[in-house]
Amino acid sequence: MKMKRLFGGALAGIMAIAMVGCGKPAANNGGAASGEKISLNMWCIATESDSNRKSYEKAIADMQAKYPDINFTWEAFENQSYKTKIKAAVSANEMPDIFFTWSCAFLGDFVDAGKVYCLDEVYEKYKDELPEKMLANTTYNGKHYGVPTTMNIVGLFANMDLLGQVGYTEIPGTYDEFIECCDKLKEAGIIPFGCAGKETWCVTEYLESVIEKSAGADTLNAIFAGEATWNNQDVADAVDTFQSLVNNGYFDPSGVGLTNDEVKNNFMAGKYAFYMNGTWNCADFAANEEFFPKVKVGEFPVINADKSKLGQLIGGPSDTLAVAASSPNAAAAADYAMELGKLICHYGYLDGCGLPAWTPYGDTSSVNGLTQSVAKIVADSDTMVLFGDTAMAADSAATYLSYVDQVYGCLLDGDQFIAGLANDIK
Amino acid sequence: MKKFKKGFAIVVFLLPGLFLFISILIAPIAVSLFRSLYDWNGFSEGTFIGFQNYVELFTNGSIKFMTSLKNSLILAAFSVFVQLPLALFLALLLGRKIGGDRVFLSIYFMPVLISTVVIGQLWLKIYNPDYGVLNRFLDLVHLGQFKHVWVGEVGTALGSVIVPTIWQYVGYHMLLMYAGVKGVSTDLREAAMLDGASKWQVDRYIVIPVIKPIIKVSVIFAVTGSLKTYDLVRILTEGGPYQSTEVPSTLLENMLFIRNRYGMGSTISVMLIALCFAFALLISAAFKEREY
Amino acid sequence: MESVTDKGPKPVAKVFTYIFLGFWAFVNIFPIYFMFTFSLKNNDEIFGSNVIGLPKQWIWSNYAAAMKTGNMWLYFLNSIIVTVAAIFISTMAAMMATYAINRIRWKFSKLTNAFFMLGLTIPLQASIVPVYVVLSNIHWLNKYTTLIIPYAAFSLSMAILISSGFMVDIPSALDEAAKIDGCGYFGTFFKIILPLMKPAVSTVGIYSFLQCWNEFMFANVFISDSVHRTLPVGIKALSGQHTTNWGPIGAALVIATFPTLIAYIFLSRKIQASFIAGAVKG
Repeated sequence: MKMKRLFGGALAGIMAIAMVGCGKPAANNGGAASGEKISLNMWCIATESDSNRKSYEKAIADMQAKYPDINFTWEAFENQSYKTKIKAAVSANEMPDIFFTWSCAFLGDFVDAGKVYCLDEVYEKYKDELPEKMLANTTYNGKHYGVPTTMNIVGLFANMDLLGQVGYTEIPGTYDEFIECCDKLKEAGIIPFGCAGKETWCVTEYLESVIEKSAGADTLNAIFAGEATWNNQDVADAVDTFQSLVNNGYFDPSGVGLTNDEVKNNFMAGKYAFYMNGTWNCADFAANEEFFPKVKVGEFPVINADKSKLGQLIGGPSDTLAVAASSPNAAAAADYAMELGKLICHYGYLDGCGLPAWTPYGDTSSVNGLTQSVAKIVADSDTMVLFGDTAMAADSAATYLSYVDQVYGCLLDGDQFIAGLANDIK
Repeated sequence: MKKFKKGFAIVVFLLPGLFLFISILIAPIAVSLFRSLYDWNGFSEGTFIGFQNYVELFTNGSIKFMTSLKNSLILAAFSVFVQLPLALFLALLLGRKIGGDRVFLSIYFMPVLISTVVIGQLWLKIYNPDYGVLNRFLDLVHLGQFKHVWVGEVGTALGSVIVPTIWQYVGYHMLLMYAGVKGVSTDLREAAMLDGASKWQVDRYIVIPVIKPIIKVSVIFAVTGSLKTYDLVRILTEGGPYQSTEVPSTLLENMLFIRNRYGMGSTISVMLIALCFAFALLISAAFKEREY
Repeated sequence: MESVTDKGPKPVAKVFTYIFLGFWAFVNIFPIYFMFTFSLKNNDEIFGSNVIGLPKQWIWSNYAAAMKTGNMWLYFLNSIIVTVAAIFISTMAAMMATYAINRIRWKFSKLTNAFFMLGLTIPLQASIVPVYVVLSNIHWLNKYTTLIIPYAAFSLSMAILISSGFMVDIPSALDEAAKIDGCGYFGTFFKIILPLMKPAVSTVGIYSFLQCWNEFMFANVFISDSVHRTLPVGIKALSGQHTTNWGPIGAALVIATFPTLIAYIFLSRKIQASFIAGAVKG
């Protein structure tokens, strides 16, 4: 149940999003005198069922042991209600000292309203361990506001057991082979794709990859950034391509009524051959001993080689911690958030929840093979495109998701999709 | 002096009620009216945009306000034409001094006491496409072709919300009506029956006219309740698939917490209040017309 | 009396009546039965071998799981605190307002009553934005009172409607007698009227209970810490955590439901009588 994470082109240096003005950085009068007992509170989405739960627990335990003087409390909320909660808290100035946030527009709105503590000062201390390019998505007006933890891309996960049944030992590399594979799977009575229709972001994991591999990463990036219009024939054609996948019956029809957790479990239970979703899932797959040997991760094949190529990925630097400007101990909280973020990143990487945003340290040989494959894909990548729903401002993102939903339901075709979005997103 | 004392007493007695009522109900409506004319994201200063929100509500293809209204009205229609007749029928049957009426009454009222969230979760399990009781049952009786992804298909999702809604509140309306049915004097019934009226005729010509005020209240509650529907939609379908089951309240919530559009949220509030009042007046008028 | 019933016909009709009533009873009971049984099963049984039968093994650990990760008792307690306090406040405010409207003669009493009746049709959702903004500005989120006050306010109209029905039945001679005895308005209200309104209290209580106990939207938005969470929100949170493990969800649903249902079974006669009184007086 993760909101999509995005990676503001950490590798390609895409910082195309028109970053909103910083507003007046709220006066920060934090800085608890050392030795004085202070309390810090944190909100996040690492609930019991979240794959990041363990890394949060370990990181927090380490921090509490290291700083007994800081009375640290934290609370985890279910993803969907968290969005409600944090926005409400921000408008009410009732934020916890440290809070989990998604980068780009989500955090940007809060920064814009002057509710977020600027981390420039404290970042100096961690410069060597946290590459500045990883902060691209949480930098507004040249100032840093977020502590990244892990980062993820969209992966094409395949159940090789099922692929083996129709004679494949590798994920097909070209689009034609890929479609052929889907047809064979369908003939053999195996559903090619699982996708949770109840959570539209899961649909975008497929759709955005199809658009990117048809129209090219640069085109998609410009559109998401609001620099180019949605009125783009390549996008319309890509949407039609996606719909042909739906209409050909490659998608599980019951998926429309399921949540992502349910679909993921179905995939692990061997109901689908492919599952396109964030690479944070590697942790859960690796934790399932029976399933782990069967799964492989790859990249979605190129559809139009004139416009796109392998190495163009959808993804982004992932979860972020931010500090409330209203915190009475903002400076101390900033320090704490940095160190905590580093630890969560460390443990998250070891668990396979994602790739590290911080420079890895210690022994990382225990990282599961799947996450290592992802690391290789990312290392070989060329361009990354932000997840649309995180890159866009809240209202536009909701409009976008609504149209994606209608495309998945085949209520709109490609032309209507681009025309509607060009009209409704300002 | 006496007059003053009286005035003072009135003020004191009304104060707690008025305070609650005005601060939580009336003042917010005034604020909503005002805010509905603004483009406002909740944290920053808003900009005055006149009636643009109202216009956008009907023109933006991704907001789906018309769909949400249509869904509410369908729900209201089912409440009025399926749920209430069923409740009335049960109330009339149980009002006929048959054995075990107490037991039946108690059972029928049970769902009313269960939290809607619980009911939503429970029905979600019943509707589950792979493991739900409903699809399993259809398999069992070899009607597999009628299996559906109940909450996920455009054709069935709205129905999947309507069924538990009706199911839960039949008992509520039934008990209201039963109260009325029991209030009809036995003498009146017996007199009618001695004149040769059948039971149905008694119900039709004596009981129903007597409980008309209660039916009116039930209709108003059912319709305004349908306009307010929220919990079950939120839990069962999340407004999906493809926003086909959105209702005004879920849109309202999306505006506030997903789109950060407090101004537009206020606009939907205002529309909702206006609709509830309009229907309440309309229903009252309809009942008055036939009262002679 | 029997003769009248007997005149009505035919055992066949009677059988059909009972079949229909029984069927509807089954429709009402079955989901509750299903919930109870799957709360004690593991996924194997629920998904495959034993969908609707009684559990083969009674897995009480589902309940332990619901308690541990779900904090169900706390949420239950919170719901009770919030509901009871809201009922108390709205009942008290309603009784007082009803007294002023019905027992004291003044020019605008009718109008005031009509004003309060507006509340019957105002949807709860309509005030969520402004109330939220105000509560947050005065730092009044995440307290019991954050929910109690709005709940009380939204129960008020119904409470006044019902109380009025009861109060007009109290003979006004009592007021006059009290006046002669030297009671003022306050004395009359507290010493004479209020004790006579006891039956109204239980009726108002039931209607308010139904409204507050199930409320989800305010509770979801206004309460962000788990300490003050009420049952509906707690259940939503828990089911988000156990989407694929049905047993503990079932257990949580049962914990949320059965105490009320059991109380209801014992008090059903009284509850129904009060509810019915509301319908007649309202």
